[in-house]
Amino acid sequence: MNTTEQLREMLKEVYDPELGVNIVDLGLVYNVREEADGIYVQMTLTTPGCPLHDTITGGVKWVLSQKTDKEKIEVDIVWEPRWSPAMMSEAAKDVLGYF
Amino acid sequence: MSRLPFLFIFTGIFGFVMFQAASLFQLFDWLDEGIRGQSGWFHVHLFVLGWATMLAMGAIYQLINVILQSTVFSEKLGYIHYTLFTIGLTGLLFGFIKAEIYWIAAFATLLLIGILVFAFNMTLTLIRAKKWDAITISSACAVLYLVLTGLSGMAMGLNFATGIWIDYHENLFGAHIWLGTIGWFGLLITGFSYKMLPMFYLSHDYSTKPQTAILLLWNAAVIVGALSFLLGSGFWMKWIALLLLAAAIVVYNIHMQQIKKHRHKRNPGTGIKWAVYVSQALAVTVIGMLIYTFFNPEQLLDTRTVIFAGWLYLSGWVSLTILGYASKIIPFLWWTHKYGKHAGKPGNPVLADLLNESKVNVWMAAMSVISLFVLVGLATGSDLVITAASAILAVLSLVYIFLISRVFTR
Repeated sequence: MNTTEQLREMLKEVYDPELGVNIVDLGLVYNVREEADGIYVQMTLTTPGCPLHDTITGGVKWVLSQKTDKEKIEVDIVWEPRWSPAMMSEAAKDVLGYF
Repeated sequence: MSRLPFLFIFTGIFGFVMFQAASLFQLFDWLDEGIRGQSGWFHVHLFVLGWATMLAMGAIYQLINVILQSTVFSEKLGYIHYTLFTIGLTGLLFGFIKAEIYWIAAFATLLLIGILVFAFNMTLTLIRAKKWDAITISSACAVLYLVLTGLSGMAMGLNFATGIWIDYHENLFGAHIWLGTIGWFGLLITGFSYKMLPMFYLSHDYSTKPQTAILLLWNAAVIVGALSFLLGSGFWMKWIALLLLAAAIVVYNIHMQQIKKHRHKRNPGTGIKWAVYVSQALAVTVIGMLIYTFFNPEQLLDTRTVIFAGWLYLSGWVSLTILGYASKIIPFLWWTHKYGKHAGKPGNPVLADLLNESKVNVWMAAMSVISLFVLVGLATGSDLVITAASAILAVLSLVYIFLISRVFTR
């Protein structure tokens, strides 16, 4: 059984290729948990209609299916609460030159 | 992933190379000769339709999901649009070279049908998406003006063949140019920028109210300008259209600065920065022209002024903006196509690895500076400066587009 922290650590391998920052540090992952038959991820994107929608959700599924023994990975993209830059980690802010 | 954006973007790049090569070959004689001859028609349509419109349509098919959060109504219609538009344009350009009126008429009709198919597809896409904001309304208006540009061009073609509206030929000519340049390109670039700029600057919590003001002012400029040509109005109506356009461009620049102020990413990409700079340069020059023509009304429709304004707007703003945006959207398109399915796998490049940003900066700067020299040549009527600067610009443009095209080998 993987803990939430372990799953979040795994998701740090999925990068937003435009920003060059992983989705966990960007604050895009709202909830991740292992369930009896799979893994559930609730996340958002920096903007509605983000052109990397399929790429990032595909990356999440690929990483979790490779690093766990679960085959069923559910990625739920939500727009509430709306993502804001305040959700980024200090590491992400440093990379983006956030000020 | 759809191949439609690739088709349009590859063809647009080909059109750009052909335009620069053809212009270089003739040392831009067509600019000195005035634009209302066979050579002028050929070069202007190759540039406007073969390069700028072709690439813009590719960007629309690529970004429609981003703008509307909905897919295009029919991809099949997109391929029909591409086929009709490309064959129509190729035949039309050949007809211009050969000065074959019936050849021009036949292929212009194909081209127009291609535009109508595009407009039909976009209309149904917008209706289905039911998303009405400044971005979608700007895009819808842009497509409408493209259709009106095509229809006025066809009416001019009919005039040449039959002389049916020969008294109104000049009126149609003015409206055709105004609708195509200010209407189609203006509203498309501003509308798409409302989404693109915040995305690349990672901007949040900025006011979108200026977008409504820009939309109203820009549309007013298009309508007043087009009517002034169609009705054969005098100086003041055209000058007011220019005033409205200048106001729209100023508010657009203010809005871009607001977006920049609310950014959370220091660097949006060099091409985006240059798209902002050339918009600022456009604002300054249009204000200058507004003041100059106020005191020199006879100069407003002087051939030299028209060529200066056309070059400033099309080569200086539309094309440089597209070239700047291309440095972001082409790597995006290619990365998603080639690496998108492998996101998360170790060793995958990020977008920044596909294109050398410092080289983009150098070439965009060089093209912008040389564009100023072309404008100086046009303003002073110096053939030597026009020829030398536009030849250098063509070489720089070819190097830049080669740099961008190398993304497809990464």
